[in-house]
Amino acid sequence: MTDILTLVFRTLSSQTGQNKDPSAGPPSPAPRSSTLLVGEHRLSRSVLLLAAVTAASELGVRVAFFAQTQIQSLPECLQRCSRITFSYPRTLEELLQQVAGLHESPCPPSLIIIDRLDGFLRGAVAGSHVGFHSGDESRAAHLAALLCDTAAFLTEVLEKRGSSSAPCRAIASFLSDADSGQESRDASATDPVLAVLDRYFQARCTLDQDRSYEAAAAAAQEAWHVYLSGTKIPDDCEDGPALAQEWKLFIFPEGLMEFKLV
Amino acid sequence: MKSGSARSKKLCGKMRTFLPAVAEQLFGDIQKNYEETTQIPDDLLIALKFVFGTCALQALDLVDQRSVTCLSSPSGRKAFQVTGGSGRLYTCFLSCHYCPCPAFTYTVLRRNQGLLCKHILAVYLCQAMAVTQQESVSDQQMSAVLSGTEGP
Ligand SMILES: [Zn+2]
Repeated sequence: MTDILTLVFRTLSSQTGQNKDPSAGPPSPAPRSSTLLVGEHRLSRSVLLLAAVTAASELGVRVAFFAQTQIQSLPECLQRCSRITFSYPRTLEELLQQVAGLHESPCPPSLIIIDRLDGFLRGAVAGSHVGFHSGDESRAAHLAALLCDTAAFLTEVLEKRGSSSAPCRAIASFLSDADSGQESRDASATDPVLAVLDRYFQARCTLDQDRSYEAAAAAAQEAWHVYLSGTKIPDDCEDGPALAQEWKLFIFPEGLMEFKLV
Repeated sequence: MKSGSARSKKLCGKMRTFLPAVAEQLFGDIQKNYEETTQIPDDLLIALKFVFGTCALQALDLVDQRSVTCLSSPSGRKAFQVTGGSGRLYTCFLSCHYCPCPAFTYTVLRRNQGLLCKHILAVYLCQAMAVTQQESVSDQQMSAVLSGTEGP
């Protein structure tokens, strides 16, 4: 999945001058099949939608997009895109059932996206009367393991068909409780659910708002740091380097986004 | 039986990427010895206890009871089900470690003190010894098993 995110960032990066070729730039990192996107909801959803569009249009593959609530103001081109299937499970149980059922699909997706894992996981707790320590970690692990196992299985299916749409990747967004309170930098130290998710996702993409002068200098409304990191490499390329890339994202008044490799 | 054991070797290989080299080596040795002698020699049993602690004996019990079943559905999807001592079914995945039992949550996920629980260890051992039961289910049943919403 990191390859798709990298493609997103590159396609939308400001190539001052003539170079508009998205394949230019630094070499693609070794692809990790699953990525956890950690950061504020509004922005992470935009990145997820961009990933869906990029996968569907640039790579021409099928995308299964799961979100808990209907996405407001979904651009029409997205709604009409036949390669992207939007599903709106209301509960964690429904989400588990729908992801678990993907193997039954005659045309399996090459990208599985889940918007706001925290919403699904938190909702599941609200129903129970047990304290915060109940089954949070186990539920998070079940969902993450199911997602990874499903992506691994669909990768095999797609490869067997000899289709160029292999492998199947997964990307999910998550906002830590600790993070929504702003201050704390590394949430995984304090958030047990995030620590569990990190166990299963091979890479992490962290969105961190930059409140320094640079945003103002670029005449942007907001500036964000985008860190792509991952330590685990897929089985066959064990010697690959650990993934570490940093991008800067500027958001301009009319919602225009621009990425810059740091 | 032959093809069954070839298949289990492959399944085991996938999950092994989650194991440290020492555990991987151990399962390989158990597989080799068991193929030749249908026994696990004492030194390997000791190594098993050393690496996995109390889990090892409990997992060997589960193996003796033939508690591990590999479910397959027409789509090709597979999953392991382990029948616990109390008769409860635990569904474990093929490509990464997860078990719904409390020991996995407390020891592995929360305290980071172990690699796996007795159920997942039993899956590895049954695969290495080629004594996993095989069962076919429908695609819908497979989805239900994977999502944890019902038994087969
Ligand atoms: Zn277990």
